Amino acid sequence: MTLKLKVNGQNVELAIPPTTPLLNALRNDLALNGPKYGCGLGECGACSVLVDGMAARACVLTVASVVGREVTTLDGLADKGRLDPVQQAFIDAQAAQCGYCLNGMIISIRSLLNHTSTPSSEQIGAALEHHLCRCGTHLEILDAAHRAVALNAMALGGVDD
Amino acid sequence: MTERHSTVKPYQTALPAGFENLRYGVVVRPPHYRWNGEHFTCDRLAHVDTSALKTLPYDAKAVVEGNFVGVVASSIENARDAAKRLVLSWQPHDPLSATPTQQARVNEESRQTQAHKTTGIADVEGGQAERYERDYGWPSRMRWGETEGWVVAESRNDRLEVWTQTSTPQALRQDLSTLTALDADHIALYTSEEAERHVASGLGRHCGDDAAVDAALMARALGHPVAVWLDAQYNVDVKALGQAQRLSLSAVFGEGDHIERYRYRQAHASGEVAAVGLFLSGRTLVPGVLTDTEKPLYSPYTFQNAHLSAHTGRPSGQPLNDTLLGIQQTFARESFLDEVAHARDQDPLALRLHYLDDARGRELIESVAKRADWRVNTPSRIASSDVLQGRGLAYAQLPDRQQRLESGGRSAWIADVEVNRITGSVQLTRLVVGQDSGVEVDTARLQHTLQARVLGEARPLLGSEPAFDEWGNGSLEAKKELPLAKRQSSLERQVVTPNEASSVLPVPLEDTEFSPGVAVIANALFDATGIRFRQPPFTANRIRQALQEQDLEASQGRDSLFLPRKSKAPRRQWLAAAAFMTVAGSAAMAWPWKGAIAPVSRPAANLYSAETIERGRLVAAAGDCAACHTASGGAVNTGGHAFETPFGTLYSTNITPDEATGIGNWSYAAFERAMRHGIGRDGRHLYPAFPYTAFAKTSESDLQALYAYLMTQPAVSAPAPQNNLSFPFNVRALMAPWNALYHDPKPFQPDPAQSELYNRGAYLAEGLGHCSACHSPRNAMGAEKDGKYYFAGAIVDGWEAPALNTLSKSPVGWSESSLYDYLRHGESALHGVASGPMAPVVAGLSELPEYDVRAIAHYVAQQMEAPSGDTEAQQVDAQQRLAVAAVSPSGMEEGERLFEGACAACHLDNGLPSFTRARTSLALNTNLYSDRPDNVIQSILGGVHADTVPGVGNMPGFADSFSDTQVATLATYLRARFAPDAPPWQQLEQRVAAIRQPHHNNTHSSL
Repeated sequence: MTLKLKVNGQNVELAIPPTTPLLNALRNDLALNGPKYGCGLGECGACSVLVDGMAARACVLTVASVVGREVTTLDGLADKGRLDPVQQAFIDAQAAQCGYCLNGMIISIRSLLNHTSTPSSEQIGAALEHHLCRCGTHLEILDAAHRAVALNAMALGGVDD
Repeated sequence: MTERHSTVKPYQTALPAGFENLRYGVVVRPPHYRWNGEHFTCDRLAHVDTSALKTLPYDAKAVVEGNFVGVVASSIENARDAAKRLVLSWQPHDPLSATPTQQARVNEESRQTQAHKTTGIADVEGGQAERYERDYGWPSRMRWGETEGWVVAESRNDRLEVWTQTSTPQALRQDLSTLTALDADHIALYTSEEAERHVASGLGRHCGDDAAVDAALMARALGHPVAVWLDAQYNVDVKALGQAQRLSLSAVFGEGDHIERYRYRQAHASGEVAAVGLFLSGRTLVPGVLTDTEKPLYSPYTFQNAHLSAHTGRPSGQPLNDTLLGIQQTFARESFLDEVAHARDQDPLALRLHYLDDARGRELIESVAKRADWRVNTPSRIASSDVLQGRGLAYAQLPDRQQRLESGGRSAWIADVEVNRITGSVQLTRLVVGQDSGVEVDTARLQHTLQARVLGEARPLLGSEPAFDEWGNGSLEAKKELPLAKRQSSLERQVVTPNEASSVLPVPLEDTEFSPGVAVIANALFDATGIRFRQPPFTANRIRQALQEQDLEASQGRDSLFLPRKSKAPRRQWLAAAAFMTVAGSAAMAWPWKGAIAPVSRPAANLYSAETIERGRLVAAAGDCAACHTASGGAVNTGGHAFETPFGTLYSTNITPDEATGIGNWSYAAFERAMRHGIGRDGRHLYPAFPYTAFAKTSESDLQALYAYLMTQPAVSAPAPQNNLSFPFNVRALMAPWNALYHDPKPFQPDPAQSELYNRGAYLAEGLGHCSACHSPRNAMGAEKDGKYYFAGAIVDGWEAPALNTLSKSPVGWSESSLYDYLRHGESALHGVASGPMAPVVAGLSELPEYDVRAIAHYVAQQMEAPSGDTEAQQVDAQQRLAVAAVSPSGMEEGERLFEGACAACHLDNGLPSFTRARTSLALNTNLYSDRPDNVIQSILGGVHADTVPGVGNMPGFADSFSDTQVATLATYLRARFAPDAPPWQQLEQRVAAIRQPHHNNTHSSL
């Protein structure tokens, strides 16, 4: 039995058990290593991906549960070589130390900005609340998030022009 | 002349290969046709329109001869399909059109029947004289056949060859000769080795002969070999042909307690009603010459004023089947004497000896009685199970070839039977046979033959020794005692495979040797049940029905199943002690009744229509077969799923059609018995973890479709793991009394006062859906409680199945529409997702049509007294609960920290979109409101695996990351925060430790 998924805009078919965790399929079968394996329990957020534009923890999803939906990983955020504003903001803010959590941070802010282009500081905090960072770059990450809001607004403005 | 198996040649395979242009035929019988004892009447085929056959994409031809209609095509499926497209118009048979003579006979017959009904058994006939009068019957067809199988006929160059099952080759050859006008020499009969073993039973015809004539008729008409499928469908012929023989006996007792007059009258001596195809095609309508002559008969007993007669209505020239005649006579006479003895409160053995002058016969009976420990007035045993025990006696003496009675054979039988009150199945537990053939008896041959005919045919379940004792040669040497005690150790171990069983060679019996066989069982059955069966066969179905009628009568003013139901029939103490071990231990099956249902070859996949298989698939989905019959990681329906019960661990079995390890060799009859009565094909009781108590309610057509579906799935070899039950629960035989107490095999009856939707829902929920198997509590014996406990909730497999009646603890009340959402989509907005063992149930239901799921929701809503839709009050209630739960309770920092770390990412709504957030708040979760923390602990440890419910994420299990204390702390916190109006759970840590066991590897808990 093959499962038909749409990942980063590409249609893919996987011949794997439908109960395979999405994270495993992405990393092992599709070689998309943006999402990281952290706790495996949906607690840390390192594995986050976008499903239909919403943040999702790929370790607690099965492949079957995303059939017919659009999955976007960190690897697929850039558009033709042009980084997503959120990615650019995290680079600009040099938000990484070990960088293991950054996949989840970026995905979660992307999900937030898909929901509202003008989030409050509380909303930014809420979006990042259940993403764990162990090496202590919390302040840089918050800076990056705020910068991402601004870059995103500029990018949207650019589109409007 | 006696029919012998040697008139039939054996063949090896089920369908002989090498036929050119083999076609498959089906017959369409008239709506009404019957044999009334002397005449065949049927509806007349007024018009037939076969034009539809020309438009079919395959080749199909109709064969119409008189009132015989058959359709032949290149496959059985096509033939069946084509048969449905024939347009037939039947003119109903009018009994008034019968000739005056025929009419007179009909009247005579009905008058006699009537007289018999009103007379009763004992009439006082002046003074002290008492008159006993009874009618016995013998069916035209003993049964539809031996096993399902192909019957093939090929007609070529004035030669007819037929491959079939028959137990009356002589009569079949006669019929085929009538059909084809061929000489008997030009007709060859072949039978499979399997069927050949049945040839010698001498019980009379079955429908293998009718199928053979059907096939031959079509083969001759078309010039192709034609195959007809013989199966239980031919039961229609069995019913239509009814009774072949009526045997009327009467006895008048005068003063001195002595029979003064004795009369035996047999209506038709031939007993072999021609094949239906012959009647329908107009080849045998009226017997040529009615030879109303009296044939002298024999009775071993001497009565003062005896009149014995047989009036034959057979066509002249047709040979008599002497074997059958002997069995019929013995059956009627020995049953009658037994009835008379019981009516007069006499010992049936003493009564026989009283009228038997023959010294050797007396000696034989007395020896057999001594050997069998025959006793008068044995004390009643304590009736405490659903197994009835009884014992019967029968004696026969028939003349030798020179018609001399004194030098003929004598045979005396005493049989012990056990009758399962619930299933009606009969087990022959002990048989003592004495044989005096007048010449030297070949004891080895006799033993072989009895084994083949009595035991071999029914395939003994267990044991290497036949369960009978045997003497020979008048010297009456005692042989082996039935080794009851020894067999205990072989419980459930040895099942004789068909190959082993068929290695018992059939050897022809002398007529006398077997003729008491039917009467002895009838008498034992009466002793066991108090019911007199006056016409064979004594199928489980008939016995069950009779027992149910008896129950119905007895139930007036009495509520216990176990009160003694008769005072006359003695019950025997000595058997009681051995009863259980005998049922499961020796389990020798009686002939012609089968405790074990004979294995069959797996039915061909193309037997069933796509519609039937599809219906069966839905039945399987509704019954959720795969949920229990699939082990975690195993192939579908191959079994091995473990059930932890209070009685030990049980494993589900392989229900794929693998013949060795699955149900491939189960006939439909065996399958149906398992589903309705919880008895496996081999006769073993199944444990009610298999919810046959619910499945019994399934309709016949649904069961047949389910059988078709299962039989057409891929066969996978997978032996079931050994159950690990503690004593005494490992004794399957104990399920017999359990069934009597707790199982009602009655099929579902719609409640006319309720709507169609309700009844559909009730049928699905109570039957296939077996909702109450989990949602009703069970008593100490593992039986569901009913009444106010119906749907009151229970613990199953470590999970709590919540109450589905008014006791529901759901924080916001259910409605019919929320139940529908939950069952259809696995999720309801105000209640959350289906998880644990309920997840696969929803997965199964997703296969069902919407109406059916709606019906179940409607039915359950009625049990809950729930409104049809979510009410405004429910919405308000939900909002209030959500508001209260938004705030974390104070003083529970440890629990809050655990919750924030492990749960909040998915279980706390921060107002931002997330695909993996649980859509329903924990504040609406029934499990948090339950009196029991089990489901919450299960979910934390093992997670929630709703893989099968679309659009629902999985919750990971935390068994490996949380200690017992942490789980308990978290559960306490969850209860306080999300179910603030419920009291805290107590002793959580111990409960966690107890539930943790199966989760040590963080494996699925639900499957």
